[in-house]
Formats: sequence, structure tokens, C-alpha cells
Amino acid sequence: MDAVPRDYNYVNWVPDPSEFVRFADEAPKATSRAPSFPLEDLETGETVRMKELWRGSIALIEFGSFT
Amino acid sequence: MEALAARYAGRAVRSAFIYTREAHPGENFDFHSSMDDKRANARAFKEHSDIKRQILLDNLDGDAHRAYGTAPNMTWIIGRGGFVFYKAAWTAVKDVEEALVNAIDFQENRIENEWVPFYSERAAWSYRDPDRFKEGLERAGPKSVGDYAALAAKRKAAQKADPEAMRIVPGNFYKPGDD
Repeated sequence: MDAVPRDYNYVNWVPDPSEFVRFADEAPKATSRAPSFPLEDLETGETVRMKELWRGSIALIEFGSFT
Repeated sequence: MEALAARYAGRAVRSAFIYTREAHPGENFDFHSSMDDKRANARAFKEHSDIKRQILLDNLDGDAHRAYGTAPNMTWIIGRGGFVFYKAAWTAVKDVEEALVNAIDFQENRIENEWVPFYSERAAWSYRDPDRFKEGLERAGPKSVGDYAALAAKRKAAQKADPEAMRIVPGNFYKPGDD
């Protein structure tokens, strides 16, 4: 994992085409194995590992934010 | 996506929304400087958009979001064992549903049919409702509107100059040539 970009939680949005280059070139490819990360369930506060989503199911995962 | 998730919940499809950084931070829903900020914005999102799917928060550094490519509103379909069926730089329900139907078909019938998966790429498309997008920016706050204004004006001018030109937007890599 790369070092955390200092501006990950940026204060102001500016167009960043490199996001989509990273998505296409550096993120896992279709047919590869998805990485798993610990996440926090908003309702319960409990830790959920991503791989639990696809254990015995197909996982449909949308990433996003309110804004 | 809520309706799609509900339609397929009975077919062994588990849907989740992973909450990332704010894509267009504004005064009302600003960037996160703590997990409490992130929780508060995620709760506001859940209430406003009536989200029934499980909402999972990435950590403050965006480890999951960055590993999956950092696009602001992407969708992934992942099968048993972590097999990546589908990744899309933007979320478009029609495209997602087509991929989901194929993924279910593969998972249910691959052994009987002796199907072997292979890698493929294709383009997809969607309509972006500019009024709805503007509403979202305004809800976030004046900063969000201001951050986007320059790009919006540039795109509007380009479209006016050549209405038939392919729109060059984040998420496609097309570069016009002379041919």
C-alpha cells in the first residue's frame, strides 16, 4: 500500500483525471481476486471485513459519499 | 441502486455501500477530519436518500477506497472467493444489472456448463442529470458549487462549440484525433 496521500480528504475538489487512471490501471482487474479491508458498520459500529460480503454470496458494492 | 439491491436480495446477492471521502465537500457536508465527521455525513446521507443497504465506513485514510482505485462513485461485483466479476468507474443501474445477471448466471451454472472465465473490457454509458447534480452541490454548500463552477463552464462551452463531439469526462480516456 502506498503512503496515504496527504490530501485524501481534500478541502476543495479539483478535477483529478489520475483517479480514473488508477482505477483502470492499478486497481484489481476483472477476473482477479478482490482485496479485503476492515470497514465499520454505520449502524452497529462493528468491524466488517469486506470478504464477508462475498462469502457465500455475490457482493454488489457501491462506493460513494453524500456529496 | 436501492431498488436493484432489493430486487436481487433473494438471489444470494449481498449489497453494501462503502462510504468514502466526500467527493465535493462543502460547508454543510465538509471533508472528514475524524471518523465522527465521516459517521455524521454518512448518517445524513442514509436519512436523506433512504438507504436500506448496509453502509460500511472506510477508514479515515481511505485504505479500501484507494486500493479499489479511488473513483468517486464506482461499483464492483465480486463473487465467491473474491472473484472480481465487474468494476465500473461510474455507477449506472442498467449496466450494473446486466453485469449482475451475468455474474449470477456464471456462478449458478458454470460447473454444469463447464464455463471458463476470461478478462474483457468494454465501454458503458449513462445519462447525468445536470439539475440533480447541481442540487447535490448546493446541498453540500457554496464551496462545493464554487469548486465545480470553472469545470462546468468549460464543459458547457465545449459542448456549445461542437454538440456532436464525444464528451471527454472523468472515467473515459478518449482523445479526439484527425481521423
